[in-house]
Parts: sequence; C-alpha cells; structure tokens
Amino acid sequence: MTLDDIPLFSALKGRLGYLSERQRVISENVANSDTPGYRPRDLKPFTIKASSGPDAGGAIALAATSAGQMIGGAGGSQPQSSAGYTPQVTPDSETRLDGNQVVLEEEMMKLTDARMSYDAAIGFYQKSLSMLQLAIRAPGKPV
Amino acid sequence: MADISSPSDAIMAAAASGLRAQQSRMRVIAENMANSDSVSKTAGGDPYRRQVAVFTPVMLAGGIQGVAMSRIAADTKPFPIQYQPGHPAADAKGNVKLPNVDPLMEAMDMRDAQRAYEANLNVIDTDKAMQTSLIQLLQK
Repeated sequence: MTLDDIPLFSALKGRLGYLSERQRVISENVANSDTPGYRPRDLKPFTIKASSGPDAGGAIALAATSAGQMIGGAGGSQPQSSAGYTPQVTPDSETRLDGNQVVLEEEMMKLTDARMSYDAAIGFYQKSLSMLQLAIRAPGKPV
Repeated sequence: MADISSPSDAIMAAAASGLRAQQSRMRVIAENMANSDSVSKTAGGDPYRRQVAVFTPVMLAGGIQGVAMSRIAADTKPFPIQYQPGHPAADAKGNVKLPNVDPLMEAMDMRDAQRAYEANLNVIDTDKAMQTSLIQLLQK
C-alpha cells in the first residue's frame, strides 16, 4: 500500500506530472519564438483516464458493480510517467512571414495557466495529506 | 541512470538556450548599429553589409528542443548610394555606397530580442516558483 494506491493521490500525481511536462513544452516554444518555420507544440488537455494507464486509452479499467466488490489489479491505477505525454503541433493564432507560428503572449498565457493549475494541484495534495494525518491521529490526542 | 534529468532541468536548459540565442542576436544587432556608417576603405568598394542572426532548433541532451544561432546571414538589400565626390570611398562618378543598415529596423529588432529574452526569463521564474511550492510540501 503506497500513497499511489489512493486514487486521489494517484490522479494528483498524474496531474502534476502532466503540468510540469506541459511547462517543458511551453519553454521549448518560448525558446524558439524567433526560429524561422518553427511550429509550437502543446499537450492534449489532461484527463484522468489518460493518466491512469501506461498506454493511454488502451487500458480498460474495472468498474465496481456492487458495493461488495474490491477493485484490485496489478498496476491498474499506476499513473503514467511524465515522459508518456506526446506533444502535438498546435499553432498559435498568428503566423509570421518567416513561417514561425509562436505568439509570445499566448505562450505566456499558457505558462501562467500551467503554473496556476500546478499550484492548485499542490494545494489539493497538501489538503489531502492533512486529511490523512487527521485520520491516522491517535484518538483523543490534540491535532 | 546518469542522464535522467528532472523536468525542471529540462525547462531550465530550454530557457537558457533561448537566453543565449537572444544574446548572440543582440551582439549581431550591436555590430550592425556600430557599423551603420562604415563605408568602404577603398574608392568605389562595398561598405559594411548588414548581418542577420538566423536561429534553428537544436536537440539538447535529454531530448529537449532548445534553440541556437546557427549562422549569421548577410542582408542582400542593395546599398543606398549618395553623391559625395570628395569622399575617399567615392567611385569615379563621385558616388559613395553607404551601409544597408537602417537604425529604425535595428531598434525594432532589438526590442524583439529584448522581449524574447524577458519571456525566457519569465519561464525560468515560473519554473522556480513551481519547484518552490513543490518543496514546500515537505515543510508542512
């Protein structure tokens, strides 16, 4: 039993991995904002499903059909490693005469968006951890 | 195991390559500005020709797509000609070829380079803030 066996933590871990991977792709776009012919890339929007299997989309998760069932499975809920996301070419709104399709303003927006989502996920992780701490606290002992 | 790097290292490497490339571009712009009045040493010869920095994506260690200044190309724009018979660089007809450097264009280019440089710095700042918030999980 590790923290990853708890679906919430596993999902948050996947989300954090996705966001830092996205940050990496955006940093490449910003670095190449003046390269002729460069086409910016981005990751597909994050989904829990995509992050919950080693090969996104291919894995079929078991669903509980009655309250008595236990969903096990070896590695079924392992989050995907951050290297598993494949960036795809997503041009920004303008193309320059030299064929460059990076718009710095839009990349900065994406960067800020990723950062805010990252902070949100971290905050969520923190709250969940303190909830666990609350649960494992010895009865009658002050927090 | 040695070449496994964290996503943070990858972000820093990409942004640093961007900073370096923009700095090289600034150097080329500075050369153009400095030579905006450099005419030929010999009579009738060609003056200073404007240079343009050309960027290209490069694969850094760990599959990161960074950027580098691949070469410095010459601007093929024709030289403006001015009639100045007494000038040492004037040809037989008294015309002097001036450098094809337009200070206004260089100023615009410089702004562009500055903006791109700031954007790369912004990436580094954001990454640092994200790592800090991650590390702060340990303090709680």
